Amino acid sequence: MQYEFEEILETIKMTELEHFDIRTVTLGISLRDCVDRNLDVTKQLIYDKIIKYGRKHTQFAKEVESQFGVSIANRRVSVTPIAIPFDKFKAEEFIEIAKILDKAAEEIGIDYIAGYSALVQKGFTTGDLELIKSIPQALAQTKRVCSSVNIGSTKAGINMDAVMMMAKAIKETALLTKDQDSIGCAKLVVFCNAVEDNPFVAGAFHGVTEPEAVLNVGISGPGVVLDAIKEAGNVDLQQLSEVIKKVIFKITRAGELMARKVAEKHGIPFGIVDISLAPTPAEGDSIGDILKAMGLEDVGAPGTTAALAMLNDSVKKAGLMASTSVGGMSGAFIPVSEDQGMISAAEKGNLSLEKLEAMTSVCSVGLDMVAVPGDTTAEIIAGIIADESAIGLINDKTTAVRIIPAYGKGVGENVDYGGLLGLAPIMDVRKISGGVFIGRGGRIPAPTRSLTN
Amino acid sequence: MRITEEELRKLTLIAMKELGEKATPASVKKVVERAVDKLTPVSSNDLPKSDKASGRIILTSFGLDHPGIAARITQCLSDSGVDIRDMSQKTMEEFYTIIMIVDITNSPKDMKDIQADMNKVAEELRIKIYLQHEDLFQAMHRL
Repeated sequence: MQYEFEEILETIKMTELEHFDIRTVTLGISLRDCVDRNLDVTKQLIYDKIIKYGRKHTQFAKEVESQFGVSIANRRVSVTPIAIPFDKFKAEEFIEIAKILDKAAEEIGIDYIAGYSALVQKGFTTGDLELIKSIPQALAQTKRVCSSVNIGSTKAGINMDAVMMMAKAIKETALLTKDQDSIGCAKLVVFCNAVEDNPFVAGAFHGVTEPEAVLNVGISGPGVVLDAIKEAGNVDLQQLSEVIKKVIFKITRAGELMARKVAEKHGIPFGIVDISLAPTPAEGDSIGDILKAMGLEDVGAPGTTAALAMLNDSVKKAGLMASTSVGGMSGAFIPVSEDQGMISAAEKGNLSLEKLEAMTSVCSVGLDMVAVPGDTTAEIIAGIIADESAIGLINDKTTAVRIIPAYGKGVGENVDYGGLLGLAPIMDVRKISGGVFIGRGGRIPAPTRSLTN
Repeated sequence: MRITEEELRKLTLIAMKELGEKATPASVKKVVERAVDKLTPVSSNDLPKSDKASGRIILTSFGLDHPGIAARITQCLSDSGVDIRDMSQKTMEEFYTIIMIVDITNSPKDMKDIQADMNKVAEELRIKIYLQHEDLFQAMHRL
């Protein structure tokens, strides 16, 4: 037979037992041609364009899913950062745009649409400021819209005014969505070095240099890696790296194949494969569990950062070999609430916010889905954002903060969203503030790293 | 100019037909040259597209072994005009695994229909049957 028995059974085992799935196929749509001076016309143009490209997104994904027997967990849409084409609108008008995005997403049957975004690393346009002002209301009044703001980059430095503004926006969003455990904050990401072709929600947007429409894919597969590591047994770290690479190679190839097929059905170009290991709250589909299988007593133990660095690097090496179109974030995600191993480490107090921050310096994407006490001040949140951004700034990598100051809750409690967003135990935050430093405003200058020419 | 296997076969057939018993090296050469002339040069449009989806599907079935499983599956495939290209079976104590490479190119049904038929068979026999396009295995297991 052309294929070995073992190869075929291995594939079935991956898809049926080890949660190997395609995490998301994300349709990027440019909205740059949807501007009109009349808001109603603009809204209609946006709606029509999303329907035009997205109408069959779910259907196509399902067809490819059944053709290959690999499930596609999510189908999403990303759009041009809204502040760019619609710069002249005011905050209340931006909220109307958010609502039409929400409506379009509902119409095409997807759970999230991302790109309610602004890129302000070097400064604000009037539209940027209006959009940021509108974010809390926009997130509170919609279900499916996700927002992100890029406040720093290695080339530009960190816009500290934007950091403070975003910290306040996060606090206000938490307040406005307090009835649902401040869920609005789970749809809001603050970035440094945001990437333009990221397929993963909530931080996805369709960059201005992207084509009219494009299909990007995010693979998954912590469960597959976990089982391979367990099977490998007591091997040294070089051999362990080899085991990880082999598995990642296979799932990346499958991911790219399926994304190309979905793109083909849409009749649009295929963009990139994001080779990030993305966990889900399902048992066994956890980065935390991989770290434990590598030999840590629990996530947060001394050695965690080293283990994560090795895991992340092995993933990249295999992914690069498997695909010529690697892009997006492409690292291991460590969202606390979406990963059973991370949740348990945080609940036991083994994983602190500071250790998590250290971990983010060697993987993507940052402090993700971290819940903190509701009384955490905007200054402290701004400090957390600034620290995380500094890691991205200096290391020329993407970092992000998706933090939930759970309104009315404290350490020992948790926020529970169910589904993919999962459950986040509220983590302790130091109460000492860097408010005066942040309050100086202005911009942290671009580092020497930016002078690469 | 590239000559595909198919074309070679055609050439041989033409030569055999024309020459019958009285083949000599010179006459074979003459016939082949004439036949090659008839073949149009391959343009880039004629080259097989590398991503062209073939109709080959890998069917995997496993479960508790009992008589009639292979018969039921192959009967169903035959009813749908599906061609079995390769087949392999292993049993381990009371469990069996069957793997087949099947070609649905000439079937009037598409993959979705055949999957639906197989789901019925699987339910009836209390076994598992998976159908996955061959491209997946190519991508994952072949460089």
